[in-house]
Amino acid sequence: MYIIGENIQFMSDKVKAALKERDARFFQKLAVSQVDAGAQALDINLGPRKKDGEEVFPWMVGLLEEVVDVSLSFDTTNIAGIEAGLKKVTKAQPIINSTSAEPERLEKVPLLAKQYNTRLIALTMGKSGIPIGADERVNIALEALIPRMLEIDYPMTDLIIDPLVLTVSGCQQYCPELIEAIRTLQVAWDPPIDISVGLSNVSNAVPNDRRALINNTYCVMLMAVGLQMMIADPLDKKLKEVVRTVEERDESTPAGRLYLKIHDRIAAMEEPSPEDVDMSDPEQVAIWKTVQILLDKVIYTDSYLQV
Amino acid sequence: MAVEIPKDTWTGEVHAVTLGAIEADGGTRTKTVTVGGEKTLPFMHFEGETPNAPVVAVEIKDRRPDDWSPLLEEAWGSAMDDPAAWAKAAEEAGADLIQLSLSLTGSDGNPTTPQAAVDAVKAVLGATGLPLLVFGPGQADLDNELLVPVAEATKGERLVLGLCEDKNYRTIAATAMANDHLVIARTAMDVNLAKQLNILISDMGLPLERILMDPTTGALGYGIEYGYSVMERLRMAALQGDAMTQLPMIVTIGIETWKTKEGKVGDGVPEAWGDWKERAINWETLTAVTLIESAADIVVLRHPESVKRVKAAVTDLMTV
Repeated sequence: MYIIGENIQFMSDKVKAALKERDARFFQKLAVSQVDAGAQALDINLGPRKKDGEEVFPWMVGLLEEVVDVSLSFDTTNIAGIEAGLKKVTKAQPIINSTSAEPERLEKVPLLAKQYNTRLIALTMGKSGIPIGADERVNIALEALIPRMLEIDYPMTDLIIDPLVLTVSGCQQYCPELIEAIRTLQVAWDPPIDISVGLSNVSNAVPNDRRALINNTYCVMLMAVGLQMMIADPLDKKLKEVVRTVEERDESTPAGRLYLKIHDRIAAMEEPSPEDVDMSDPEQVAIWKTVQILLDKVIYTDSYLQV
Repeated sequence: MAVEIPKDTWTGEVHAVTLGAIEADGGTRTKTVTVGGEKTLPFMHFEGETPNAPVVAVEIKDRRPDDWSPLLEEAWGSAMDDPAAWAKAAEEAGADLIQLSLSLTGSDGNPTTPQAAVDAVKAVLGATGLPLLVFGPGQADLDNELLVPVAEATKGERLVLGLCEDKNYRTIAATAMANDHLVIARTAMDVNLAKQLNILISDMGLPLERILMDPTTGALGYGIEYGYSVMERLRMAALQGDAMTQLPMIVTIGIETWKTKEGKVGDGVPEAWGDWKERAINWETLTAVTLIESAADIVVLRHPESVKRVKAAVTDLMTV
């Protein structure tokens, strides 16, 4: 699993404060800790920075490249800011995160990616928003995103499609559809185009103590259909343990065995079955209930584990 | 050539909930009304059983309201001055249930007192044998202050107490439990929140057979499609076996439709909108019938003509 580290992230109060103070040491530590934990790229999400983007992004690139060698992912809508940052990059091939299929974005952002030889994350989102259905999302990739890349002769091996994870708390119907969208996108192009998602979005608006189980279970379900790249917290040990369990097919724990059964069922286009679950084991029951909400079989509520 | 109609097989069903209690069961009602019990989506008679038809509750108030349409005043006349007379008129107009809304203040402008609320409820119970739903004025503190004494004074009647909401459900659910009544769980057009509130209330110990849910709706042209989708989704979840969604649904159509411009305004609107009274009644009727098609078990209406039309539509829809 290729992890793009998500922790340089504007919604965090610490990041906000450090940015205000231009605290280079803070960001360097945050970067090193993520790379030490296995991040193969770092997402830089500082918001639009309309006023100071052309100063902040190069500053950030400079300080990060002093301490890490990995790809930097520019996660902003500020095109001038991205370009200022890209000019400063001297190490690994950077990533632009992201374009959508909205005409204005799709016109400009891929040209920038091509000009600066960057990878590009493209969202399956058109001007009328994010469709629920898997087929509609795949169609956006096939009918808008990929044709635009061909048109400008952008290397397909540098393209990353993000079919968009939405939260189970409020957008539950999207959750099973995303699984199928990833499954289809895997075979939609030859050679297959890389796919990445922002995993933790699946538990936005879910109470904090319940987010990990939802994230981890969904990760297994997405790995079942071929997910190999995600924006996630590389310091999240439980998540990485789940990824390792699936990758190494580690059957040494009951939960691990259940995760693998769920993984294999979904990979085989079967529904996970209650007979796979030892209902006397609370951990397995919790995983099972989580699968039920992520497949939209049971309506999500904050106390879904209690019923 | 014979065409085979495809059928869904559902594993779940909606709880049947009985409103009101007759004397033998500890109440004073001359009849009870049972809603819910569906084993299929609305009116799919070829697929599964719909044992109880959707019903109409007529909304009345404990005193003449200050802000109701002149069209409603024309329809109910002087009955509006007396909740007992209004309840009787509503029963004559075809109501299956009476929904009494307590006012925020009495006609003297002071907050409604618990005694006045109890008197109004008792007067209505004395005037009609139909099951009764009692709603507080819609402010948490006052709702609790009024509904608890009402519940205690009518123990055993299986009244429906409204409204339990996520910020204020404990007091009402507790008094319903203690005094053999039912409650309505209302949430703001969101399937997750609707199910969550049902869980919270049933966690207190109130059986699901004593909870109705109100997922909230908008009137025709004012968000009805969201209300429709939420109810449809909740009902499909119920039929798929999601236990905490298997409750009959009630929606308060009257209050929603009579505040729309189309229902409320007679003057200064385009001529193409047509006759005001006919339009207002159509608005209430169409909103109700649409939501009955979605999954509503109880619709609360205000105009007697709407009651007649909605009941006629239900009769047609229930004909196999």
